[in-house]
Amino acid sequence: MSAGAGLNPAGLDLAAIPERIQSEVQRAIQRSIKGVEYLSTSGPSLGSTPKDILHSRGTMNLYHYRPMSDEIYRVPILIVMATTNRGYILDLVPGQSFVEFLLKRGYDVYMLDWTAPKPEEKSLRMEDYVLDFIPDCIRRVQQDSGETDVSVIGYCFGGVLSLLYGSIFNDGPMKNLICFTTPIDFREMKLFQNFSDRRYFDVDGLVDSVGNVPGDMIMTSFDMLRPASRAFSQVQLWDNIWNDEYVKGYRMMDRWGSDTLPLAGEYFRQTVKDLMWDNKLFNDTMSVGGRAADISKIKVPILHAVAEHDHIVPYDAAKHLIPKVGSSDKEEVMLKGGHVSLVAGANAIKRLWPKLDSWLGGRSI
Amino acid sequence: MADKGNDPVAIWQTMIGEMEKGFNSFANQAMASPEFSKVVNQVGGASTGAQKQLGDLMEKYLVSMNLPSRAQMVGMAERLQSMEGQLNEIKAMLHQMQRASGAGDDGSSGAARPPRTKRPPSPGGEPK
Repeated sequence: MSAGAGLNPAGLDLAAIPERIQSEVQRAIQRSIKGVEYLSTSGPSLGSTPKDILHSRGTMNLYHYRPMSDEIYRVPILIVMATTNRGYILDLVPGQSFVEFLLKRGYDVYMLDWTAPKPEEKSLRMEDYVLDFIPDCIRRVQQDSGETDVSVIGYCFGGVLSLLYGSIFNDGPMKNLICFTTPIDFREMKLFQNFSDRRYFDVDGLVDSVGNVPGDMIMTSFDMLRPASRAFSQVQLWDNIWNDEYVKGYRMMDRWGSDTLPLAGEYFRQTVKDLMWDNKLFNDTMSVGGRAADISKIKVPILHAVAEHDHIVPYDAAKHLIPKVGSSDKEEVMLKGGHVSLVAGANAIKRLWPKLDSWLGGRSI
Repeated sequence: MADKGNDPVAIWQTMIGEMEKGFNSFANQAMASPEFSKVVNQVGGASTGAQKQLGDLMEKYLVSMNLPSRAQMVGMAERLQSMEGQLNEIKAMLHQMQRASGAGDDGSSGAARPPRTKRPPSPGGEPK
């Protein structure tokens, strides 16, 4: 509708008011109908891209996704998920699945995903993850694919584990490394630093009493970074409940966000002491199982994708990765979005995924 | 259509967004203080200790009632998971053997895999 004729001195388009009222009444009716529907149905099925479990051992699961292309790149990809979260964030629903995107673009995709560690796994340490789980999965990917080279993609703390692996096995089979929102300088994760202030946070007492650190506790610490957001998201959900696409997206993200994994006690203790307190990765003093993990030893091509509005891993915590690695072929790309929207959802489809494909394709032959 | 500046719904949505940012920012400032860390960790530590003691007490109670405790149920679940894991291992091995023998076209992982010959598209959009 053209502006001008119907505008009153206050700038209100009087002619549009009945149309607006009608639209809002329709939305109010839709909210009631869809609200009932929301409460009586479950969310979309997530992580449903066809896959096979290649190997499962305690907290560790190795999946192989079935190819969706007539021809695939020579080098397979191993995705290493963050130990706090489920891998289905990268495989939401058809059309919004990063894994499906990779498969359709001709990649052979494997994923190292985690389940909640069992009580007897409370003694798992960083060395179990870096010196055992990842190398074991790499071996199995090599065996299954018949290829020696493997590209590794690490998300968040999965990126930290991949970096530690790459620095220790720097002459190993890793051909390319892609990190998403990977922290290096843990001093810059300021609220986490404050929550784990060594003067007040008795990590030994906590781990010794609970064994594995409960997922609820981890989730609460993430929620506390934006304490109002969960409540306000409910208001926004009600506001948009007439919109099926919004509700679908909300349910996917809400379910994933509430599905935080517990952490193995010793692994948590090491993470707090070595990374949060002593900042060893940034200070180049990190070691795993007595083996120096100096990320400057990494020489393979590396891409680091960071998010402009990441409240979990702020840019100041992540920006040191690229300067510190020893690779000559290295690139950092900063994209709009937050910690999760960088990798999943509408933003990721438009921004990160095509960027990754254009970077990795030529390096996967 | 009224522009966004005069649209009450848009104003409401903007207000909600700003309120969220404001609350988060305010809370983040409060949580950045050492006092906050001290209080939270004291309360959290006490609560964790109490939960642990309650859990131990409940375990003894269930034993006396001849009921399975959570730990025993978890133990059974672990046995089942272990069996599932071993089945998956066997399945993966069978798939590998099937693939090695060149059989299978059922769409499962046992099916012949596509050739690893893909090249990235050229700048013009065509595969090289």
